[in-house]
Amino acid sequence: MPAVPSLDTSRRTVLRAAGAGAVLLASAGCKSAVDENTNPAGGGSSGTPKRGGTLQIGSMVDFTPALLFTQNSFSVLSRLVFNTLTAYDRNLVPQPQLAKSWQVAPDGTSVTFQLRENVRFHSGRPFTSEDVVFAINNLKEAKRSAQLRATAAVVSDFTVTSPTELTLRLAHPVSNLFDLFEFMIITDRETVEEAVTGKKLIGTGPFVFKTWTPGASLSFSRNPEYFVPERPYFDGVEVRIFPQAESLLSALRSKQIQLASGLSGRDIAPIKSDNQFAIQEFDTGGGATYVGVNVSVPPLQDKRIRQAISYAINRRRIVEQAFGGYGFASSAPWPKSSPAYSEATAKRYPYDPARAKALLAEAGATSLDLPLGFLSTAPAVGQMVQFDLEQIGIKTTLEPMEPAQFQTRLIGQTLPALWTGQHGFAQVHPSTLAVSAYPFNEAKNSSKFSDPGYTEIVQRAWRQVDPNGPVAKAAYQDLSEVLLDQQFVIDLVVLANLHATTSNLQGVAQNEFSALDLDNAYLA
Amino acid sequence: MTKYLLRRLPSAFGVLLLASFVIFLILRAVPGDPAEQLAGNDPSQEAVDAIRRNLGLDRPLLAQYGTWLADLVRGDLGTSYMIGGSVSDLLGQRLGNTLELTAGSLVFSLTLGLALGIAGVTVKNRFGQTLLSAINSVSLIVPPYVSGFLLVFVFAIAWPVLPAGGHVSVFDDPQIGFQYLLMPALVLALPSAAVLARYVKDGLQQALGEDYARTAKSLGVAPRRILWRHALPNALPPVLTVLGMQIGVLIGGAVIIEAVFAWPGLGLLAEQAVTERDYPVIQAVLLFLVAVFVVVQLLTDLAYALIDPRVRLG
Repeated sequence: MPAVPSLDTSRRTVLRAAGAGAVLLASAGCKSAVDENTNPAGGGSSGTPKRGGTLQIGSMVDFTPALLFTQNSFSVLSRLVFNTLTAYDRNLVPQPQLAKSWQVAPDGTSVTFQLRENVRFHSGRPFTSEDVVFAINNLKEAKRSAQLRATAAVVSDFTVTSPTELTLRLAHPVSNLFDLFEFMIITDRETVEEAVTGKKLIGTGPFVFKTWTPGASLSFSRNPEYFVPERPYFDGVEVRIFPQAESLLSALRSKQIQLASGLSGRDIAPIKSDNQFAIQEFDTGGGATYVGVNVSVPPLQDKRIRQAISYAINRRRIVEQAFGGYGFASSAPWPKSSPAYSEATAKRYPYDPARAKALLAEAGATSLDLPLGFLSTAPAVGQMVQFDLEQIGIKTTLEPMEPAQFQTRLIGQTLPALWTGQHGFAQVHPSTLAVSAYPFNEAKNSSKFSDPGYTEIVQRAWRQVDPNGPVAKAAYQDLSEVLLDQQFVIDLVVLANLHATTSNLQGVAQNEFSALDLDNAYLA
Repeated sequence: MTKYLLRRLPSAFGVLLLASFVIFLILRAVPGDPAEQLAGNDPSQEAVDAIRRNLGLDRPLLAQYGTWLADLVRGDLGTSYMIGGSVSDLLGQRLGNTLELTAGSLVFSLTLGLALGIAGVTVKNRFGQTLLSAINSVSLIVPPYVSGFLLVFVFAIAWPVLPAGGHVSVFDDPQIGFQYLLMPALVLALPSAAVLARYVKDGLQQALGEDYARTAKSLGVAPRRILWRHALPNALPPVLTVLGMQIGVLIGGAVIIEAVFAWPGLGLLAEQAVTERDYPVIQAVLLFLVAVFVVVQLLTDLAYALIDPRVRLG
C-alpha cells in the first residue's frame, strides 16, 4: 500500500458541498413542477360546486385513435369530447342527451327522435339529423369494429324529417336499441377519418380536444358553448399516461393527479383507508372474470364436468385475493343493476368441492389433465383456479398467453380446453351480452358451443319490443338459465369499476360503458 | 480512405437489408396481428378481416415487404397502426426523450462517481469510510426499479418536492423540465456512478502513491493541489473508458426507468408497439437500432483503417 498524502476532508468542505446542494435545490424550486400540478381550484366548502381549475387524470393506457368506435380501455374518456343520443339512468331507462325526446312505434320497428336545437360541434358546425344517420351507418362498417354493430345493422332505413327530427326503421324489434344509443358517440362526420388517426377529435361534448402527445398526455379545454347550461365546472382536463399501476398510484398519492383510472382493487390497497383519497366504485362496466371452456375438447362436452368445475372454484377467495375485495362472487355474468340479476342466479354454484367430485364421478371423469390458458398480464385468477381444480382431482397445466396472442386465439377459436379471461357487455340489456360479447355469441364463440335452444333464447331475448316488459324479462331469465345450465362460460366474479380520486373531487359519474361523465365534476 | 469506405459500404447496406427482412419475418411469425388488436375487445371475425384488408395485411408477405422497403428507400417509415401518426415523427420525438434522460443520467453518473471516488481517498475516518462504502454498495445492488419507487415515495409523496412521474422537456421549460428529469436521471445514474466511483478511487490511490505525488508532498505542495492538479488528471483516462461503456448500460436501463417514471421514451414506445403488434413502429425501432450498430461498426472500422494502413490497403 503506497503512502498516500494526507487529504482529510475538512468541515468547511462538507459545509460548502451542503450549501451547493441547497442552492441547487433552491434554484430548482423557483418554479415548482409540484405546485404547477397542484390544482388551484378547490378549497371551497365541501359540497359547494366550484368553478375553474384543470382536472388532472392519470390513465394506465394511452389513447388509441383507431379504437375510437369500439369499447376499449381508453373509452373511459370518450364522453369528454363526445355525447351520445341518450344516456341510461341507474335503472336502464334512457334519458335525454343529444336527443330530447323520442317515440318508439308500438310494434318496435321504428323510433322517431327529436334532437336538441342549437347544439354545435366544437368546429362550430350545427349538429343535425344527418349526423345521427352518419353515426349509425359508421358503426355498421366492419372496420370500425363496434361491439354493438349487430344492433346498428338492424337499423335498415332513415327518414330525415327536419334537421332536428328523424325516424329510424328497424328490420325487426330489438330489446337493446337504446344500448346502441348509450354506446354510440356522435362525431363530426366531416372529420371522422382524421379522428381515427388522432389528428382531430370533434364532438359536441363538454371539453374540446386540444393536444395529444402519444405516450405522454392529452389535454382538453372547456367547451364554452356546451349545451348543458353552466357546465362543465372545470376549465380543462389533462390526461397523463402512467403505464405502471405503481407509478399511477404514486402520482395520485403525490396529488400530481386527482383521478386515477384503470387501477385494480389490489392496486389501490395502500390508499383504501386513507381519508385523503376516495375510491369510487361503479358496479357496471367493470366486466366479469370467467373460466372459458372449450366444449370440443373431450370430455368437456359433458356439461356435468363443466358444472363440476363451476362448483369447485372458490369465487369469494378470488374476489378477496385477486381483486382486493372489490366486485362480487357470481355464477352469472350480470351486475346487480341488470334486469337479469337475481341473488339465486349469482349463488347458483356455491363453493362445494364435494358436489364437484360427485358430478365428476357421475360423468365417469377420472384423472383429468387439461391445459389452462391465462393472460400473462393477469396470472392470479388462473393460478387460483388451478389450485381449486386440483382439490377435486383435475390436474391443469398453466399456459400463459400475452394479450395479442390471447386475442388471436379467442377470435380464432383455438383457445385450450380451459382458460381464464374477462368479458364485458353484461351491464346493459342482457341480449347485448349474447349478440355483442364474443365469448357468448350464439352464432360463433370461443367455446365452440352451439345449441339450437341457446340460439332460440338469445334471438327471443334480443327481438323484444319492450326491453323492460314482462315478456322480455322472462326471456332474460331463460337466457340466464341456459348460461348457468350449460356453463360453457363459467362466470366467477362481477368486477367493480374503480376510480381512485383525491377526496375533494366530487360529481364524477360514468355511463354504462364506463365513459367518464365530468359535466358536474368539481374540486370541493 | 474513400476507397476503403466505398468498399465497406455495400456490406453495411447488405446487413441492413438482411436485418430488415429478418425483422419483417420474425414479427409476422409471432402469434397475434395488428388487425386483432385494432378490433378492440370481443371483436367479430368479420371486423378483424375488414381491418386486415384495410391495412393491406391480407396481401402476400413478399408484397407487403416490398412496399415497406420501397417506402423506406423514400425515407417514409410508414404510419403507426395504433397511434395514427408518422412513425418518423414518433421515433424522433421518443428518441429525443430517451437521449434527454440518458444525457441527464450521464451528468449525474459522472458527478456522483467523481464525488464518491474522491471522497473515498479524502475521507479518512472510519465512519465516513463505512458510509461511503455503504452508499456505493447500495447504489450498485439496489435495482433501479426499487430505488425509483423509494425516491418517489420520499420526494413525491412523503415530502412532495418533485413530480412522481411524467415528462416536460428541459428544452421547452428548463426549470420545470429539470424537476421532472431529476429523479429518473438520478435513479438511472446510481449503479453507473458506483462503478465509476470505484475506478476513480482506485485510480487516485494509485496516482497518489506515485513518486511525483510523494515528491510534491515532500516539497510542501498543498494536498488539495496534489489531488486536483496532479493525481486526478492521471487517474481519469481509465475512468473515461469505463464511462464510455456505461453509456450503453444507461441507454439500456432507460427502458425500465421510463416505465417507472412514465417517461415517454423509446423503450416505452417499443414495449407498447410490441404489445399491440404495431408493425410499422416495431420495424422502425428495431431497424433503427441495427442501423446504429452498423454505423458504429463502420466508424470503428474506419478508425482502425485510419490508424493502421495495413487495414485499408489489405
